[in-house]
Amino acid sequence: MNIINDYIYYFGAFSLIFIGLYIVLVKKNLIKVIIGLSILDTGINLFLITVGYKKGGTAPIFSEPGLQASEMVDPVPQAMVLTAIVIGVAVLALALSLSVRLYKHYGTLNLRKIKELKW
Amino acid sequence: MRKLTAVILLMIIAAGTAYVLAEIPFGSTQTKIGDYFNKNGVEETGAVNIVTSVVVNYRGLDTLGEITVLLTAAIGLGMVLDSSGKRKDVVKREPASLIVYTGCRFLFPVIMLTGFYIFIHGHLTPGGGFQGGAIAASGFLLMYLGCSGKRINTRVSTVTEVLGGIIFIGIGLAGLILGHDFLFNFLPKGEPNTLFSSGIIPLIYVAVGFKVGSELAGIIDNLMETGE
Amino acid sequence: MVNPVLLIIIPLGLALLIPLFGFISVKILKYIPFLALFSNLIISLKLLPEVYREVIHVSIGGFIPPFGINLVAGPLGIMFTTLIALVGFLVSVYATGYIKEGSEEKYHILYLLLLTGATGVVLTGDIFNLFVFYEILCISSYSLVAYFGDKAGIESAVKYLIQGALGSSFILIGIGFLYGLFGTLNMADIAANISSAGTLPVFIPLVFLITGFGVEAAIFPLNSWLPDAHSSAPSSISAILSGLAIEIGLYAIVRIVFTVYDASGMFSFFLLLGVITLVIGELCAFSQENIKRMLAFSSIGQIGLITFAIFIGSAEGITGGLFQLVGHSFGKALLFLTAGYMIYETGSTNISSFEGMGKKLPYTSLAFTVGAFSLIGLPPFMGFPGKFLIVKAALTEQDIIINMLIAIILIASIIEAAYFFKVVQVIYFKGESGSMSRKRKTAPLSVLIPVFIFAGLIIFTGIYPKLLAEVLEQPALELLHRVDYIKSVIP
Repeated sequence: MNIINDYIYYFGAFSLIFIGLYIVLVKKNLIKVIIGLSILDTGINLFLITVGYKKGGTAPIFSEPGLQASEMVDPVPQAMVLTAIVIGVAVLALALSLSVRLYKHYGTLNLRKIKELKW
Repeated sequence: MRKLTAVILLMIIAAGTAYVLAEIPFGSTQTKIGDYFNKNGVEETGAVNIVTSVVVNYRGLDTLGEITVLLTAAIGLGMVLDSSGKRKDVVKREPASLIVYTGCRFLFPVIMLTGFYIFIHGHLTPGGGFQGGAIAASGFLLMYLGCSGKRINTRVSTVTEVLGGIIFIGIGLAGLILGHDFLFNFLPKGEPNTLFSSGIIPLIYVAVGFKVGSELAGIIDNLMETGE
Repeated sequence: MVNPVLLIIIPLGLALLIPLFGFISVKILKYIPFLALFSNLIISLKLLPEVYREVIHVSIGGFIPPFGINLVAGPLGIMFTTLIALVGFLVSVYATGYIKEGSEEKYHILYLLLLTGATGVVLTGDIFNLFVFYEILCISSYSLVAYFGDKAGIESAVKYLIQGALGSSFILIGIGFLYGLFGTLNMADIAANISSAGTLPVFIPLVFLITGFGVEAAIFPLNSWLPDAHSSAPSSISAILSGLAIEIGLYAIVRIVFTVYDASGMFSFFLLLGVITLVIGELCAFSQENIKRMLAFSSIGQIGLITFAIFIGSAEGITGGLFQLVGHSFGKALLFLTAGYMIYETGSTNISSFEGMGKKLPYTSLAFTVGAFSLIGLPPFMGFPGKFLIVKAALTEQDIIINMLIAIILIASIIEAAYFFKVVQVIYFKGESGSMSRKRKTAPLSVLIPVFIFAGLIIFTGIYPKLLAEVLEQPALELLHRVDYIKSVIP
């Protein structure tokens, strides 16, 4: 039971990652694939923050005197996640704009039908 | 068939990750640099929010790359949506009711103030340039949704964007010109936990906040303009 | 001593200032990338002899690694920045005449940002910073592929984006694992501690990282985006993507496998993968009618050959691989630039429409032929010493499997020669039908200058390869001597 207790957070983060991967690999509609990418990004960010946790730790802000540095969680994964969220948003915005133009050209968002370029 | 291969692939990846995660116990990872930042962050940078000092000072080049990524996506989005050539007329949206209209105009400065507060105090409280900029941009989104017909001035937003980026690079280069390294914290660090402390960190965060806010507002403007 | 940080900051700053210049006058915009890359070229050439004596380390913010980010300007890094600056500079000269329609300002901003990202990738010493600069490179290339806004361009950009974003997610998962296992993000620090953890849990993040970077490096089976993307992009962007972007992806893989991991057990896997990529690329190129698609498949083949050469693992093998890499950058950029102008003149991308180009555009066709012969590997051109070095390095290994792979490579080279000769034949010898008037026409200067400089470099290095081979020896040794790298960053 202890194992489940400790690893539940990793399990949650990776469930999101696998759901996102499954959607990107299997679904036909372009908007669903983009949503899958977004879920994948969320899962990865969650995983990164989970890596930095310290048991019994609190946020790394010395807002009042007397807080010990040893009771704080790791700030580096939080900085990584800040950057990763922005990068994910940027890719998402670009993907959505491309799908707007794609719909104007093809009239459909079904990826199986958008296959004009062949071997 | 496709679903089956996807599921098998995911199970292989899951087995692999389970193997690695067994080596990363939850709650007590080997944080060498994390502990160093927690212990020495306030002294070396002057900011009480250690995440801010990591983001802006210790790993400032990552933040520079991050605003570049956002800039690239904003420009790419503008290029993709704009090259349809002719500017179509905006679809006549039904104007919002009086309550919504007045409410939006009332809320807009409050939202902007909240956003500014968050990025100005980035080194004291949780938050920072990106978070505050995103909140400020959501104020613009509210205006687009609630008060149809009002648009942002694209020239002003472009100039703000450029100035924000140039100030960031300029502060970094100032550190270089003064004989130290790029992005060196050369301003006095002051008393921790006060507003005017930690050297260049609040300046950089204010610049980043303005840049991100105007950039996201520009993205919203581009997306709203492509009516059917 | 010039600070290598300027190699990243100058193009970045100028790219940020382009909108302001755009308010003043639109005409000067196309000269800004020219200026930025010219200054990068001068700085790189100035730093080159210095870093060959001693590696320059730059700490950002004044914090020593591993607590701060550091840039490692070593022989391999500065060699790559020189290559990026040179190819980028010449292609930007071409773009002054080529990009006339659409939003010019945004093209130039994205072009400079692409090259900034590439320069950042090769100079950094921190793995998360590598990821951020790599993302700058990828996102600008997604947007630039869709520059023309036509059906093919948008479709290729969407497919490229989805595969690229998946790859980036895998890289981030790998970085997360590495941070969890080692507690640091600095590449030299991870490399120093890599033997402390057990083998399999350390190997799995490597798989994630290779899969992620392999999308951009166009290794089989992750390269299905490449033929569409490189053929639907504007020709100057195809030149940059084929000539620089996929090589940078390969650099990232090589840096991780050689320096961070020291995974010599994986080399045979990469040898096999390289040859499979080569064979598939050359076979598919053979049956193409569209010239740009043919050149894109040829890029896949060449990157497979370069992968094979680098993962032979000996100093000569890596030198040969880097020689072939530089040759491919020059040659493929030359081919795309000339083909772009010929497409502009005939209005179609079919090879058969290039009939009689030899008479109509004599200089351009001559340059195309130089590029084609160099890629095949014919003697007075740069491709010949490249392939010769690779074969020689492979045969020195005295391994039966490598010898079999060499035989397959030579057969693939014959296929390559076949399709390039087909194109050259169409350009020069067919087309006596004279359906269109074939007056002689000279291409504009913006096309001729970069094209002739590339051709000149190819011929010069072909006749006198010793110069480049000596320059490339130091980067090869840097890759092999990973302990020196680690000690110079973290004493």
